[in-house]
Amino acid sequence: MSMVKSPSGVRTAARVVNATKLYGRADSAVRALDNVSVEFQGAAFTAIMGPSGSGKSTLLHCLAGLDTLTEGQVLIGDTDVSRLNDADLTLLRRNRLGFIFQSYNLVPTLTAEENIVLPLRLGGRKADPQWLAQVVTAVGLADRLHHTPAELSGGQQQRVAAARALISRPEIVFADEPTGALDSRSSADLLRFLRHAVDEYGQTIVMVTHDAVAAGYADRVLFLRDGRVVDEMTEPTADRILDAMKGLGE
Amino acid sequence: MFGLTLKGLLARKVRLLLTAVSVMLGVAFVTGSLVLTDTVNAAFDQLYAGLTKGTDVSVRSKAAFTDTATMGSPKPFDAKVVDQIRKVDGVAAAEGSLTGFALMLDKSGKPIQPGGAPTLAAGFQTDRELAGGFSMRKGRGPEAPTEVVIDAGTARKQGFTPGDPIKIMFETGGQRQFTVVGIAGFGEADNLAGATLATFQMSTAQELLGRSGQFDTIDVRGKTGIKPDELRSRIARVLPTGLEAVTSETVSSEASKSVSDALSIFTKIFLGFAAVSLLVGSFIIWNTFSILVTQRSREHALLRAIGAGRRQILGSVLAEAVVVGLVASGLGLGVGLAVAGGLRGLMSVIGMELPSASLQLHLRTVVAAFAVGVGITVVAALAPAWKATRTPPIAALRDAATPAKGVSRWRLAVGGLLFVGGVAGLIRAMSADSQVAAAGAGALATFFGLTMLAPVAVRPLVRVLGAPIAGSVTGGMGRLNAARSPRRTASTATALVIGLALVVGITVVASSVKASVGDVVDRANKADLILKSASQFAPGFPSGVADKLRRVPEVGTVSEMRFGVAQIDGATTYVAGVDPATVDRMANLGVESGSLAALGTDGVLVNTDVATLKGLRVGSPFPVKFAQSGDRKLRVAGTFTDKTLVGSSYLVSLDTYNANFSERLDIAVLVGARKGVTTEQVKQAAKAALTEYPNVAISDSAELKKTQNDSVDQLLGMVYVMLLLAVVIALLGVVNTLALSVLERTRELGLLRAVGMTRTQVRSAVRWEAVLIAAVGALLGLGLGLAFGAAFSRSLASIGIVTVAVPIVQPLVCAVIAALAGVVAAIFPARRAAKVDILRAVVTE
Repeated sequence: MSMVKSPSGVRTAARVVNATKLYGRADSAVRALDNVSVEFQGAAFTAIMGPSGSGKSTLLHCLAGLDTLTEGQVLIGDTDVSRLNDADLTLLRRNRLGFIFQSYNLVPTLTAEENIVLPLRLGGRKADPQWLAQVVTAVGLADRLHHTPAELSGGQQQRVAAARALISRPEIVFADEPTGALDSRSSADLLRFLRHAVDEYGQTIVMVTHDAVAAGYADRVLFLRDGRVVDEMTEPTADRILDAMKGLGE
Repeated sequence: MFGLTLKGLLARKVRLLLTAVSVMLGVAFVTGSLVLTDTVNAAFDQLYAGLTKGTDVSVRSKAAFTDTATMGSPKPFDAKVVDQIRKVDGVAAAEGSLTGFALMLDKSGKPIQPGGAPTLAAGFQTDRELAGGFSMRKGRGPEAPTEVVIDAGTARKQGFTPGDPIKIMFETGGQRQFTVVGIAGFGEADNLAGATLATFQMSTAQELLGRSGQFDTIDVRGKTGIKPDELRSRIARVLPTGLEAVTSETVSSEASKSVSDALSIFTKIFLGFAAVSLLVGSFIIWNTFSILVTQRSREHALLRAIGAGRRQILGSVLAEAVVVGLVASGLGLGVGLAVAGGLRGLMSVIGMELPSASLQLHLRTVVAAFAVGVGITVVAALAPAWKATRTPPIAALRDAATPAKGVSRWRLAVGGLLFVGGVAGLIRAMSADSQVAAAGAGALATFFGLTMLAPVAVRPLVRVLGAPIAGSVTGGMGRLNAARSPRRTASTATALVIGLALVVGITVVASSVKASVGDVVDRANKADLILKSASQFAPGFPSGVADKLRRVPEVGTVSEMRFGVAQIDGATTYVAGVDPATVDRMANLGVESGSLAALGTDGVLVNTDVATLKGLRVGSPFPVKFAQSGDRKLRVAGTFTDKTLVGSSYLVSLDTYNANFSERLDIAVLVGARKGVTTEQVKQAAKAALTEYPNVAISDSAELKKTQNDSVDQLLGMVYVMLLLAVVIALLGVVNTLALSVLERTRELGLLRAVGMTRTQVRSAVRWEAVLIAAVGALLGLGLGLAFGAAFSRSLASIGIVTVAVPIVQPLVCAVIAALAGVVAAIFPARRAAKVDILRAVVTE
């Protein structure tokens, strides 16, 4: 897994180049992404924001290999995602990416621990016990490992999902509105853990959110509108983000 | 509301079809049996109407009773009666007729034996109008004692043309040679319902059939303008006692009725299979609708929230059931027609020839098909529909995933009681002879008890059965998913249990029958050789065989046996004629009281069980009604225990038999070797002596066992085909359940795919789930089937099952195949599961 180094010496974990995504037929097509080019740095926490319909989720899905671009390229490391077939995409997701969705992150029949190690087991691998213990402790679930999702609170479920996303030490973790269904306290717990993962383990995280507070945990915020990247902010705070969002007309 | 239902249904065509198929096959069985019966009846009606054409009144001996088995053998009477009838005012023509047994041989000397239809001899009637549908196609009528007219069917199949020589055998004597001078047809048909017919000059026929100067019937045609009824009563006035005159309408309707009586057994068997597949189908319908109602609880709650009444919810679910039922019935009707056509073909392949007529689809059949199809579907959907009405409106606001409900205490108690009681009944049936009632009630109670308890048993069963595969990630998931909704798995598996339990149970009974046949032959038989008709459809073979054997030096004992139909206490039954002097040397009858010697000309040996039941002892009067000779006062000459070789509970002497029956065909001949002659030697000698009787099969006891076993296997094969259909329906139920479960788990599947599950892994997990569900059904079906089979085998001791043999390999193979068939059932749901659109599954909401 070689990493592409940018001239500045910071590695680039993922890139989109001239990405365009059209939905629908040619005559009534909706342009969800309009010639977007953007890089995501390694070991950094990037938030993508924008009003609904801005294309932020589409960008994330295309990056994660869940959706395909109409035109342009997606590179994870130096792998051209747009050239992979379904089987290779599956392996890419299993081995090199992690996911946290807004809700329904866990398989209801499996316990918390089984859910966490699922990506490894699907690949026929065993979890490194030390790493597992470290992640589980960090998300504060050591005493909840043998519970099924139905026995966990929403916040706990999302933290299990976060642990799962990290278990295979993926190149990038994609989070799609991970706090969307959580109360503010649970949100804070989850976001602190994600921040911790970036700072302590050098994890790369790309998160779509519409919550300025959540985005405030990131190193960098991208603002999208009408399928284009219209603004960018480093070292953001919730207040500055809110101002920027107002500027976007939200 | 109905519009909504319909729209919903059309959106799910595949599921609708899958659900409908489970009922469709049952409907097809019902339709098929009705159509086939109607078709065959119509064909025979047509045939008999054609045959009696041209005849207004028939004169014949009064029969003491008429029954399917006695048709065509009225007592012959003096031919001079015809002269008296010709003198009756209004009679235009009258001519005697005579029919009997004649077996033609083909050009290579093999008997021409149609399956199920008789081989007939007849006298040629010179009055062409009276001959009815019988018409010359080629050549001319017989004009000399060595000339014969044969039916067009035989001529066509065997390649006979006028001028050819042909050999024919009769009730007495060996082969005789004739010359074919004519070919006759019957209206458009080439033969009489599959029968072969050799027609001779009347006087020749009388001599050949041993009825010189006698007729069976006299056919009469009236002058124009006279009504058949009037003619009938005029003739009746001049008839001697013992004869009657009947209109040809009566004759043909009697004949038709006897055919439909004979067919009714077939219809009943077929309807039995229909019942089995409908029971299986109803489980699948119930299951499907339960799942649908659960999945739609949010939709129903929403409807309730916006003001729909409970009755409207009930109506909408039941309306869906009605549509499914209608589709199922329509398809079943079509398939049933095809099945009827196919079965007619199959029957002629296995040798049962039927007259042809176009398939008869009566309104009654259509009504029955729709009543059964819609009825079963709606009844099976009632409980789920009721459950749907219980959805509280608030459920619309909750997250849909309702946890699987536990099994109620009430259900556990009733199910447990039924199961324990049923098992007790089965054990009772297994530990004592002839407990049919205990076996039947036990089987039913065990099955229904198990059905009620199954949801509780599913989890542990799946856990144990799935243990070997739990190590793999997909196997483990399949195992978890199979136990996820125990009720669903239980009812899906139950459908399989029914089919498999019947297959296994019948296998056990069949192997018991086979083992018994061996034991019976060993125990009851003392003869070296047993002679029977080569064809199971033949009524017997000429007595000339026994005469010939008596002249063979290697043969020591020859004992003939004949079979006839009589009424005893109002019930039609078989009576066997045996030779009192020799039969006990050739067979172990187990005479308990009285003796064979006491049979004389008015004695009956009665089976001990029957005698006990009827309170008979030696010397008791024993009235018997014979078809030809009427009421006879016989007496009980003794009792005997072993009827397995003679095949009847009533034995009379051959003298008594001959006095009351006109047939002289032997059903079997038992042969003992002279002292110092081996079985093999006497067999070779008998074979050499009987070369001109190709219609006789000579077997020693080992060969007899084998032929008996072969016929059991043949029957078993047919039963298997029918029951396997029930298993196939059950597997369709697995397909349906899995397809619905997959649909329900779309989000979960999408998530799994997102975190790295390959399509192959998804398919594998679904496959394991299917195999586990099928394995649960197979295991329970295997257990029930073995218990049912053992219980029923034991309880059927009275019909000759003396040994209960429980085979292990065959049922086990059945069960393993059924479980593995889960793989096939999983193909379609697994493909759907693998195709889940990840993005839509995970992201939407």
